[in-house]
Amino acid sequence: MDNFINEPIDTSSLPRFEEVKLNPLKPAYYKVMLFNIAVRYLIIGIAGGCAFYFIEDITRYWYIALLLFVIALVFTLFISRISFKNKGYVFRTHDVIYRSGAIAISTVIVPYNRVQHVALHEGWLSRRLGLARVEIFTAGGDSSDVKIPGLDKEHAESIKQLLMGKVLNIQEQHEE
Amino acid sequence: MKSDFSSPQRQSLVGVVVMFGDTLQSTLRSLWPFLLVWAFRINQMNRLYVVTVIGAALILTAVIAYLKFYNFTFFLDEENEEFVIRKGILNKSRIAIPLDKIQQVNINQSLIQKFIGVHSLEVDTAGSSKKEVTIKAITHDLALSLKERLLDSEKKNSENDEVAASRNTNKAYPFISISFASLLKTGITSNYARSFALLFAFVITVYQNIEDYFEGEGYENDPLDEYVNGEVLFKFAAFIAIAIIVLTLLVNLSRTILKYFGYTITLQNKSLLLSYGLLNTKNTIIRPEKVQIVAVGRNYFQKKMDIQDVRISQASNNDDAKEQQKEAIEIPGCSEVEKNELLTFLLGQVPEKGEGLKPNIRKIILNTVRFIIIPLALYFVFAIWFYNELFEYIIFLPLYLAFIISMIYFGYRNSRLYSTKDFIIKQSGAWDVDNEFLAPHKIQAVRLTQYFWQKKANLGAIKLYTAGGNLTFNVADYSRLKELANYWLYNVETTDKNWM
Repeated sequence: MDNFINEPIDTSSLPRFEEVKLNPLKPAYYKVMLFNIAVRYLIIGIAGGCAFYFIEDITRYWYIALLLFVIALVFTLFISRISFKNKGYVFRTHDVIYRSGAIAISTVIVPYNRVQHVALHEGWLSRRLGLARVEIFTAGGDSSDVKIPGLDKEHAESIKQLLMGKVLNIQEQHEE
Repeated sequence: MKSDFSSPQRQSLVGVVVMFGDTLQSTLRSLWPFLLVWAFRINQMNRLYVVTVIGAALILTAVIAYLKFYNFTFFLDEENEEFVIRKGILNKSRIAIPLDKIQQVNINQSLIQKFIGVHSLEVDTAGSSKKEVTIKAITHDLALSLKERLLDSEKKNSENDEVAASRNTNKAYPFISISFASLLKTGITSNYARSFALLFAFVITVYQNIEDYFEGEGYENDPLDEYVNGEVLFKFAAFIAIAIIVLTLLVNLSRTILKYFGYTITLQNKSLLLSYGLLNTKNTIIRPEKVQIVAVGRNYFQKKMDIQDVRISQASNNDDAKEQQKEAIEIPGCSEVEKNELLTFLLGQVPEKGEGLKPNIRKIILNTVRFIIIPLALYFVFAIWFYNELFEYIIFLPLYLAFIISMIYFGYRNSRLYSTKDFIIKQSGAWDVDNEFLAPHKIQAVRLTQYFWQKKANLGAIKLYTAGGNLTFNVADYSRLKELANYWLYNVETTDKNWM
């Protein structure tokens, strides 16, 4: 017990998460985002088109609907561009940081010793582009899970291994 | 008393009654639309026919209930350390729960079970969000010894644990019991916001009906005008208002008493055993290591009477925040001393508040936009362009405004975030002021959010996730929040305490 020391912590010299430089996602991931937007708007467009074609009462308002549709599409594209630029991640020694959002920018930080499990997800288009998403789950519920998309497949794989290693390591320490 | 659970056994025979009740209830619940239709046509139908159908349905239900009872067996598989349940009439299922996965065993009693003197036993596991296994009819002694056996294995598995050592002393010590007087006090002082909303809805409905009545009767000039002058009308309104207030108080009071009557807390094996309820008796266990957030809430009246509600959120498998809220265990009517004892037991100490972080004045603006400007804009847009009738309700506008403005103002004034060495404390609420206590090592993840218009003013929000609910603090100094986040992350990352 003699060598037990309990110095006060200098809170101002703690590492700051906000000063770490984040890694951007792979540019190819923007294609995935665009593709998803295209699919969504195509479905809305076809459904709307059918509605305006078959329901005669509203047919004469088609130009208003088209205008709204185009405005919404342009706005979504604009937002998606900002959102892509804002997305970033970094793995620190003790935690993972993920930033995202366009109108509201939010940063989630998950310490490794609270990670429950890690998963790798590949979408249909992502696989074709050689991308993957690392998903990090905690016990804090859905919205506390971190999902980092737009990583190189191999990179994602190694991140997953790294995280699993860390998680197992921590669990073993606890068992002892 | 040691009972033998190693061979499969059925529930108490009187349990057939419980099964019957449950089966009948679920049948009625799934068929009620048809029943409603039949009920309206009952006069047109043949008496004999109706009686036969009802009789046949009851007999069928009874047979199903008996078969359910007959096919339901449970036993303890000592070899594989599993608790096994077999059930099902046509689709047989066998559920085996490894003993070390059992989180909690609750013994409850509903009204029907109380009549025939049996209890139900719920086994809560770490697997899914549902209570997986319920034995619906079991005698009290058997339930207690089964519970002991089910939770026993944990002791075996972690024998070297210090906690386990103390578990061997299996005695229960009385800890706190909530007196009837405290429940009375809680009953008449809680749920005001909800009562107010009910009152408001009721008044509007009555008002609307009176209007409709006069219009429907086709009176051009109100015939009552001669009798009803301002004074009478005022007296009438006052009478109605007072009657409603008394009524809601009575309803709140009886609800509180029904739910929490005879609230006793005992201390056993370093856990708290809670037991409460007048008609349906509930029993639960709280283990301090499972506790994530403890909230203490009280309003102005409750402060004067020295009572407060303690709400305890434990780690749950439920992801839905609302469900987590429901699962939180409430201990009503605690005195200051009892509250402090509870906090000391659950958190290790009574957390002290230091200097708190206040939200920015913009929070008032944000809430004004959200609860006044947007709703009023919608109201006027609809009233002007679509339903002119809506203007008749404009006399309620001052009431709404007074209510919302005071909520926003006091909500802002009470909102604080304290960070001490061992705890995070969030104070919030306008009338009912809540203090939520959270130990930093329970944090699972931290989220900081900033809207683009908040950037210049350096404002933002923080959200702390735990396994038993989240804690949010909005519209505050962003640099300070970031500083706090760094500090709490440091805490989580250097601690050797587990979150559960």
